[in-house]
Amino acid sequence: MDPEITIRCTNLSKNFRVSEKQAGLAGSLSSFFKRTYRSVPAIQSFSFEAQKGEIVGLLGPNGAGKTTLMKMLTGIIVPSSGTAQVLGFSPSERKRAFRRQISLVMGQKSQLWWDIPALDSFHLLGKYYEVEHSQLHHRIQELADLLDVHGLLNTHIRKLSLGERMKMELMASLLHNPRVLFLDEPTIGLDLVAQRNIREFLKFYQEQHQTTILLTSHYMGDVQALAERIVLVLDGEKRFDDSIEHFESFFGGEKYVQLELEAAVDTEDPLWKRYDTVWVENGVRADLRIPTHRFHHALREIFERFPVQNFTTEKLPIERVLTSLLENPRLLEQRGESSLR
Amino acid sequence: MKNLRTQMQYYGTLYRSFFELCAAEALSFRTHFVLLIVVDLIFYGTMFGTAEVLYHHVEEIGPWNRSQFLFFVAFFLTVDQLHMTLFAMSFWEFSSDLRLGKLDFWLVKPAHILFIVFFRHIRVASLLLAPLVWGALIFSGIQVGLSPLSWCMLPLLVLLSLALLITMEILLSAAMFWTVENDGINFLRMQVQSVGRWPDFIYQYLFQKLFSVFIPILLVTSAPVHYLLQTRGEEVLFFLLAALLGMLFLVSKVWRYALLRYESASS
Repeated sequence: MDPEITIRCTNLSKNFRVSEKQAGLAGSLSSFFKRTYRSVPAIQSFSFEAQKGEIVGLLGPNGAGKTTLMKMLTGIIVPSSGTAQVLGFSPSERKRAFRRQISLVMGQKSQLWWDIPALDSFHLLGKYYEVEHSQLHHRIQELADLLDVHGLLNTHIRKLSLGERMKMELMASLLHNPRVLFLDEPTIGLDLVAQRNIREFLKFYQEQHQTTILLTSHYMGDVQALAERIVLVLDGEKRFDDSIEHFESFFGGEKYVQLELEAAVDTEDPLWKRYDTVWVENGVRADLRIPTHRFHHALREIFERFPVQNFTTEKLPIERVLTSLLENPRLLEQRGESSLR
Repeated sequence: MKNLRTQMQYYGTLYRSFFELCAAEALSFRTHFVLLIVVDLIFYGTMFGTAEVLYHHVEEIGPWNRSQFLFFVAFFLTVDQLHMTLFAMSFWEFSSDLRLGKLDFWLVKPAHILFIVFFRHIRVASLLLAPLVWGALIFSGIQVGLSPLSWCMLPLLVLLSLALLITMEILLSAAMFWTVENDGINFLRMQVQSVGRWPDFIYQYLFQKLFSVFIPILLVTSAPVHYLLQTRGEEVLFFLLAALLGMLFLVSKVWRYALLRYESASS
């Protein structure tokens, strides 16, 4: 394996066996005696590589298979087929040397002991990873400085806010200076300021340590701020894999227009449908996606027919690109999936 | 050899940290801490009290007189006290770790998963009762007139019994990977333990075989006590060791297989 390639998976697949039950008491009784199962493909023939020091954002709707992929790459679950290599190890073998070099943060779960201060948990983690005492102390100070949490180290975890707890979770995951960091929705549920703080910290940390980071998030802001590359997962399949710039210009032939109207207009007018209109304020404010070659014609038509008060135009926000792709995955096929690596 | 020593040091250091964290956690809740001690004392009281009531009405139960029966109770409570202090909490936590997907974190830690799962939670409050149960065991041993060999074997047999109980419970707990809802398994563990609270001779032949061979809980307390009281020969030690080795073998196989099919709770 090329030493520059930290993560490589080839035709990775994972199927889950799911039991099915009809609704109601009769269904429950029937299922108690005779259970029917079906195999659900969570990840299908997924091939992917990540270079050393790269930050890759895994995007996709709920249930797309992002977390399943991450769990296979950390060795938590075993793939149904295909191969995975992380730092030259097969994760499912769960070699100790492998586990010493990775770390996992899950935004919806906590690895810290709930009823004691974070500092105590950090000392335990130091023992897990055999971090020498003075080095551990230095790491705690360094990370606490960066995250500005000195005053919270001796507070019981259960007394911390969600944002503060997530900072502690990040500290816990970085104490042993992992070479690969798996972040599964690290900012979920956080307010905007806390999200920004976490992003800034991760960005700074990654630049300092060149840690390879695989990130899943529902917040485009996370991916936009951190990732250099985006992998779009839909129904367990990789549908896009390229730079964030390429993703942003996915609808390069289109312009994003925000309109403000003097009075409410008919939102059912066929014109709006032609330009994938999203009404921000019903009948008064709208976001449109207009093909570049029709831009002048479309604007003229809108100005002639509707009382436009103000308008701005810019390239399509990444959030909107993702929403459009999730709503209509065929757009990827229409574009020839040119960005599938 | 050096590798083994390094491993022992690693796990020893880790265990000390587990203990420190559990102590910190336990001491945070003073009422709960005291309540656990009281609950344990009530349990010990009922166990000895039941034996006293029974022997108030009869001279012997099976082949044992009052002193021998009290020695059996003391032996059982000593094993139970170690179990409660060192392992019991971990079994309950394992159940929720599996259901809530927290096991994921332990699977990526660079220590043996069985060690993290089943050695992580120590019930510090129960530790304070160790002198009491060991005192009762020694006192009842004197009352029953143990031989010098039995005195030498006593600590070893307590540890062997504990080891058999734990491996048996780990094996039962591995079924949680399949059952998903885990309270049933935990209640089964508790009921199996309660079978071992009574000497083997109170059970009918079929039950004796069932609980000596397939679920060898009777080997945890009855077998070593028979040996110590010299009511049976060395063959019971052989059965105890064989059961322990068999359980260890099964645990290693079943656990490995269970981890292969672990699906983790979705987040």
